Amino acid sequence: MKIIACIKQVPDTTEVKVDPRTHTLIRDGVPSILNPYDHYAVEECVRIKGEIGEGSVTVITMGPPQARSALMRCLALGADDAVLISDKAFAGSDTWATAYTLSLAIRKLGSFDMVFCGQQAIDGDTAQVGPELAQQLGIPQATYVEKIEIDNKHKLTIHKQTEDGYHILEAKAPVMLALLPPTSFQPEHPPMSSILKAKKKPFKVWDAKTLGGDESKFGLEGSFTQVIKTYTPPPRGECEIIEEDAKEAAKKLGEILLKHEALIKR
Amino acid sequence: MKEFCASEIVPKTEKLEDTRKMPKDIIKTLANFELLGMVIDPEYGGLGTDVVTAGIAVEELARADPSCSIPVLFLVGTSWGHVLNKYGTEEAKKEILPKAIKGEQIIGIATTESDIGSDLGSMKTKISKKGDKYVVNGEKMYISGVAEAVEYGGGHVTLAKMTPEKGTRGMSLFYLPLKDTPGITPTYVEDIGREAISCGGFDIKNVEIPKHYLIGEENKGFYIVHEGYELARGLISLVCAGAAAKALENGIAYIKERKAFGRPIGKYEGIQFKLAEHHVRIQALRDLGYKALWTYDQEIQGNASRFDVSMAIAMAKSVAPIWAFDAINDVMQWQGAFGYTKECEDQKAWRAVRSFTLAEGSSEIMKLIIARELLGKEFLAYR
Repeated sequence: MKIIACIKQVPDTTEVKVDPRTHTLIRDGVPSILNPYDHYAVEECVRIKGEIGEGSVTVITMGPPQARSALMRCLALGADDAVLISDKAFAGSDTWATAYTLSLAIRKLGSFDMVFCGQQAIDGDTAQVGPELAQQLGIPQATYVEKIEIDNKHKLTIHKQTEDGYHILEAKAPVMLALLPPTSFQPEHPPMSSILKAKKKPFKVWDAKTLGGDESKFGLEGSFTQVIKTYTPPPRGECEIIEEDAKEAAKKLGEILLKHEALIKR
Repeated sequence: MKEFCASEIVPKTEKLEDTRKMPKDIIKTLANFELLGMVIDPEYGGLGTDVVTAGIAVEELARADPSCSIPVLFLVGTSWGHVLNKYGTEEAKKEILPKAIKGEQIIGIATTESDIGSDLGSMKTKISKKGDKYVVNGEKMYISGVAEAVEYGGGHVTLAKMTPEKGTRGMSLFYLPLKDTPGITPTYVEDIGREAISCGGFDIKNVEIPKHYLIGEENKGFYIVHEGYELARGLISLVCAGAAAKALENGIAYIKERKAFGRPIGKYEGIQFKLAEHHVRIQALRDLGYKALWTYDQEIQGNASRFDVSMAIAMAKSVAPIWAFDAINDVMQWQGAFGYTKECEDQKAWRAVRSFTLAEGSSEIMKLIIARELLGKEFLAYR
């Protein structure tokens, strides 16, 4: 079984501070880490491969050269090989252009059975790349996936988190799964021996030319959306928490909103 | 290493020195990350890395633990684990190394006595043969990790005289377990720094050890022990670099914020000149430290001589604690009265690096080694 995990290197948001004057994020000197959702996804890939007893786990990311360290972390977690998709042509990609670029890389790798993504990345929090990637690859998808069971005929039983429990889905490969770790999940450091072994695993770097595809769909040019500004809104007004059940809460919320006509207009 | 230290080590260091000995969970944390015994051969559970890699690890540990207690535990275990790995008997290696690597036991070094440090030839502890065993008598003092070995298990690579009339050519090196060993009586002293690893000594009265605890050949201990010391000295150089670099980072953050006479004190040249000098020294220290360990690796691979190693290691260790101490001292000065309080993190590093002008070979001895290599052995003052 061939499993592909798409991952992202993100700034460690626990270290990000907000500039008090501009309200923008200060990213200088902030360490980069493997997106924790992706960390969980890679651990799940490796676990599934271990349970099946055969196959491979390939990790892919699109990013600058320094994203190599996030892929190295995945290799240390047990992935077999890695591909870094890196080119200035990809700069400014929104989620759709990112998904397009990843889909080219996945097709270039040949056949696959499962594509894993983290549910979202902790920097942008869009949760769009996984579903858009499934769309571009033309394969089914499931999001908010916490756990996957797999039988000896490679039939997948998917535990999808919902607000009040789980949906249990069944699927056949190929499929894209966006993984959401359980709240108890704590990313652990792979031991030193795994870190050292990772350095000897296959590692490819592909640029735009290697990927092929339609260049107009790469980067800023291929993006439907553009980030104009990132900022933290300054806190405003007072906060009231409505603790009643949903029906009562909706009623109370409606009453509050009606009292604040200006708020509705805005 | 940076990520590991940030999440696993830094949160545990604030009150670490209150413990007066290394907490077991920290030893286990290091073991779980496979740091203990990383230079040991894989057949005994190690990773078989070069010593430069161990240098990277210890520099980061020093940045994470300002008291430098964890780096000391690591560098002592690494250096003397390496000696055991290279010169120990197969039986001893199988018995001791896997447990040390798993963090179940510690490995220390015991050469110093109450009246001798650098002058090893004057030591009083003796080892003699008795049937198929050895018997040891004497005492060791100012030894790191005594409480840990006595309580958790483990022992010390120990040097003693076997053929006293031969001086340093009549000394043997062996492994001396401390926990529950009849004839071992530990004593403790309170160091002023790196307080989370114990310091003390032990009386040795008619302690019998099996023959397979001998490390290397009989009467060759003086030479073998220097291989361990040289590795430890190289690692200490990077502990100093890491501790000073972290202090300087703290200092930079402080002088950007703290104002005097209406402007941040970082704007004053008196501060800037010191900052620049310390930055250059710390970078030079890292270069010297890694060059020293790289030379050590080259010697293992047969690409460098003992001369190259002694020189490179002594050069790094001769200045490392002095430059680091100066840098940390100035960072404390910048912080004014706060710098002299126990609330100031940098005072832990200040107390810790002060020990390294003495530990594992004093700064003066390092200079004698450099001069010896430059002038020739006939110029040795003590000959």
